[in-house]
Amino acid sequence: MKVAAALEARPLPADTRMRHLRAYRSMARTGLKSLLAYQTSFLFGMLASTFGALSMLYLWRSVLSAGPRHGFDWPQMKAYLLVAFVAGSLVSSYTDYRMANRIKQGDVAIDLVRPVDYQWSRFAESLGVAAYEAGTAVVVALGAAALLGGVPLPDPDTFGLFVVSALLVFPLRFGIVYMSGLLVFWTQNYVGLQAARIALITLFSGALVPLVFLPEWIQVASAYLPFAGMASTPALLYSGSLGGGAAATAVLVQAVWSAGLWLLARGMWSAACRKLTIHGG
Amino acid sequence: MRRTIRLYRRLLGAQVRATLEYEADFWIMSLSAVLVQGIGVVFLWAIFESIPEINGWRFWEVVLIYAFVVISEGLSTLFTQGAWTLAVTVNFGQLDALLMRPFPPLLQVLSSEVGFNGLGNLVLGIGLVAAAVRHVDFTWSPGRIALGVILVIAAAGVKIGLNLLTNCAAFWLRSPYSMFAFSMHTFGELARFPITIYGLGVRIAITAVLPYAFMSYFPAAAVLSDGTARLLGLLTPLVAIYCLWLGATAFRLGLSRYESSGH
Amino acid sequence: MPTHRPEPRRRSDVDFSASVVGLASAKVHDGSVTLIQAIGLRKVFRKPDKAPGIRGSLRHLVQRRYSEHVAVDSIDLSIAEGEAVAYVGPNGAGKSTTVKMLSGILVPTAGQVHVDGLVPHRARVENARRVGVVFGQRTQLWWDLPVRESLELLRDMHGIDRSRYQERLERFDSVLGLGDLLPVTARKLSLGQRMRADLAAALLHEPRVVYLDEPTIGLDISVKDRVRSFVRQLVSEGTTVMLTTHDLSDIEEICQRIIIIDEGRLVYDGNLQAVKDTHVRERTMSFELEDSLLGADQIAARLPGARVHLESNGRELAVTFDRMTLGARQVLSAVLAEVEIVDMHIDEPAIESVVRKVYAGQLQAEHGGATNSEPMR
Repeated sequence: MKVAAALEARPLPADTRMRHLRAYRSMARTGLKSLLAYQTSFLFGMLASTFGALSMLYLWRSVLSAGPRHGFDWPQMKAYLLVAFVAGSLVSSYTDYRMANRIKQGDVAIDLVRPVDYQWSRFAESLGVAAYEAGTAVVVALGAAALLGGVPLPDPDTFGLFVVSALLVFPLRFGIVYMSGLLVFWTQNYVGLQAARIALITLFSGALVPLVFLPEWIQVASAYLPFAGMASTPALLYSGSLGGGAAATAVLVQAVWSAGLWLLARGMWSAACRKLTIHGG
Repeated sequence: MRRTIRLYRRLLGAQVRATLEYEADFWIMSLSAVLVQGIGVVFLWAIFESIPEINGWRFWEVVLIYAFVVISEGLSTLFTQGAWTLAVTVNFGQLDALLMRPFPPLLQVLSSEVGFNGLGNLVLGIGLVAAAVRHVDFTWSPGRIALGVILVIAAAGVKIGLNLLTNCAAFWLRSPYSMFAFSMHTFGELARFPITIYGLGVRIAITAVLPYAFMSYFPAAAVLSDGTARLLGLLTPLVAIYCLWLGATAFRLGLSRYESSGH
Repeated sequence: MPTHRPEPRRRSDVDFSASVVGLASAKVHDGSVTLIQAIGLRKVFRKPDKAPGIRGSLRHLVQRRYSEHVAVDSIDLSIAEGEAVAYVGPNGAGKSTTVKMLSGILVPTAGQVHVDGLVPHRARVENARRVGVVFGQRTQLWWDLPVRESLELLRDMHGIDRSRYQERLERFDSVLGLGDLLPVTARKLSLGQRMRADLAAALLHEPRVVYLDEPTIGLDISVKDRVRSFVRQLVSEGTTVMLTTHDLSDIEEICQRIIIIDEGRLVYDGNLQAVKDTHVRERTMSFELEDSLLGADQIAARLPGARVHLESNGRELAVTFDRMTLGARQVLSAVLAEVEIVDMHIDEPAIESVVRKVYAGQLQAEHGGATNSEPMR
C-alpha cells in the first residue's frame, strides 16, 4: 500500500483544497447521521452521564450547605459542574468506537486509500457529532439547573475568554480521544483503554470537582498535562473563579495544547501506518 | 445443585483461560480498573478533606457505604459479567447455541464472561472496609460480623439481580448496545453516598423502583445500627431475592420473545 | 445428580413419562415411533414500524404500529424415528424458523411441537440432551477456546463419562479428521474445519434427533463429501436426521423423504423417489455415434412421444423421453436399429428440477406423496 505517498503533506492547489473542504463537510454530516442512527443508544448514554452529574450536584449541594470551601459557594459550584458536564459530553460517543472497530477489523486499510486525510476526516466527523452532543448536553444541563434552582449567569468580565475556551475544548478532546483510538493499532483492545482514558480525564481535567479540592500532587501534575483545558478552564471562567492574567494564560495553554496534540497525533498516525505496512492490516 | 455450581465454575474457568489468551487485554483491563476505583477514592477524600460530615454521616461511615458498592460491583463483575453480553448475544442471534446445551441458558449467559476488573474492586473494597472499621465508632461482636458478611452477599445479590433485569431490556430494545443497562448502572452509583442527600423523587426511585440503595446505603446502615435506615437494611436479603427473581423472570419472558435472527 | 449417559439408540429410551400432551410420541401406522410431531405450527414475527429520527421514535412510543411477517404458517409435520428428511425451500421460505421451533430456540406463535415426548421450548435443558443441532452459518463452539476445551465443556454438561468421551473423539477423528483441530482456537478455524468441529460438538452426546441447517454451505468438495458420508453413517445407525439445505446433492445422498415449503406453507411432503417418479419423469439418453447421420427422423418414428435431437456434426444424438411411457431399453434398441454407437450415457433425474418447479410455483400443494398428474412441459 502506498501509505507513504498518502501521508506526504504536499501543498495542494486551490481547487483541490476546495474539493477537500466539501468532502470534510459531507463527512461532518455523515458523522451526525450515523449518530442519529443510534439515537436511542446515544440518549441512554447521555442519561448515564446525567446521572453521574446529578449525583455530583446533589453531593456538593449537601457539602456546601455548610458554607463555601476553597472559594466555591453552591451557585458557583453548580455552574462549574454543569459547564464541566457539557464539556465532557463532547467527542464522547462515536469517534473512538468507530476508529477502534475499524482498526481492529482491518477496515482501516480502506480509509488509508481514500483521497482525504485520515485525521482531518475523523476531525470533521467528530465535529458533526459534537454539535449534536453539545446541543443535547446543554438541554440536559438546563433541565438539571431548573431542578436545582437555576444557574447564575456567566461572569461578564471573562465571558469573551470563556467563549474562546469553550471552543477550544473540542480540539483538545478530539486530540486525546483520537490518540487513544489510535492506540488500538498496538493493543487490539479498546474497552480497557477507553476506561483508562475516561478515568485519567476525569481526574486531571477537574470534571468531578474543581482541581483545588484535589491533593497537591494532582494539581501539580495537571498543570503540566493537557487535561485541565478539557473541563476545568472553561468551567472556572464561567463560574468567575478565574480572572485577570491567569485567565488569559489558561486559555493560551489550551490553545498551545490543542496544536501540540494535533501534531503529536500526526506523529502517532505515521508510526501506526508504518506498523500497518510492515505487519499487514 | 452441586452439579450446577460445579458446571458454573467450569464455565467461568473456561472464560478465564479464554480471557488470558489476550494477555495485553488482561493487563489493560486490570490497570484501568485500579485507576478508575482509585480515582473514586481520591474524590471521596477531596470531599471529606473539606467537611467532617454529610447529612450526619461521618467520613468513615460514608467510606463503608462506598465500600459496599465497590464490593457488590466487584462480585457481580467477577462472577456474572456475562449479563452485559446480552445485548449482543440476543440481537445477533447468538443465543441459539446456548439454548441447545443442557445447562440453564440464564446461567450460561451469566458465566459467559469474566470481568477481571472485579478483582481490583474487591481488593479496594476490602481495603476500604478494613480502614473504615478501625475508625468507625462501634464494637465488633461475632453476631455483627456474621450480619456484615450476610449483608455484603445480599448486597451483591441486589446488584446482580438489577444488572440482569436492566440488561434483559435487550430482548425488547433490539439494540446491540447495552446503553440502557449502563445508564441504569450509573443511576445505581448514586447509592455510593447517603441517599438522604438526594431529592425525594430520586430517593423513592432508588429505594423502591430500582432498589440500588439496598446494595449499599441500607445494609451499611444496618451494620452500623445507625438511624432509621437500619430496619430497612435488615431486609436486604429479601430484597436481594426479589431482585434476582425479577432478573430471572425478565430473562424468561425475554426468551419467549427471542427471535433468533436471520429468519 | 447421577451422570447421564445417553444411549439413544434403544427404543425403550423414549421418554413417555415426560410427554406433556398425550399425542407426543404417538405410534405411527408402520409400527415406528413418531419422534418429531408438529401440529399447526405457526410463527409470526412482529417488526415495529418506526419512522426514522427522533420524531419517529417519539411517535412510536405513543402510537405503536407493527407490521407482521408470517414466517411459518400452520405446518404439520410427523417424522418417525430413524427417518432422514430433507427440508427444502427457497430463501425466506421458513426453513430455519421451523427448525428453530423444533429445536426449542423459538417459541411458536401458535400450534404444538413435540420432540421425543417433550415440548422443546418448555423443557430446554432436557431437550438439549436428546437433540443435536448444527447451524452452518453459526458456530456453537466457544469462540475463544480451543476446540478440545469446547468439547470437554460439552462433555461435562452432558455428563458423558471419560471412556465414552474418548471413544467418541476417536470416532470423530477417524470420520471427520478431528484430531488436528483439537488444539486450535475456534475463531482461527477455517469454515470447513469449523463445520467438522461443530458436527462433533453437536453429536458428542449421541442425540436421537439431529437437525442440520445448511451443513455443507460454503464448504469445498472434499469436506462436503466427508460431511455427507458421516451423516449417512448416522442415519444408518438409526439417528433421526432433519436436513435443511440448498445443496441438492446433500438431499439425494442422505435423505429418503423430502418436505418442501414455500412462503411458510407446506408444499410437498413425501418419498424422495416418488417425487422423482412423479415430477421428474423426463430422462435424457445421449449417444455418440460411429458414423455421422444426416437425419434422425427414422429414430424419432420408432419412439413416439420422445424428442430426438441430432447435433449438427451428425455424431451426437440425444433422446429425451418420459420414463413412465418408455424404458431405457426400448430407446436403446430403437437407436441401435438405425445406427452403430460408440458410447452412451443416461442423465438421471435430479431433485433440482422438482425444487425448481416449486420455486416457479408450478407444483400444487399435496401431502403424503400422492401423485400429481400435472403434465410435464
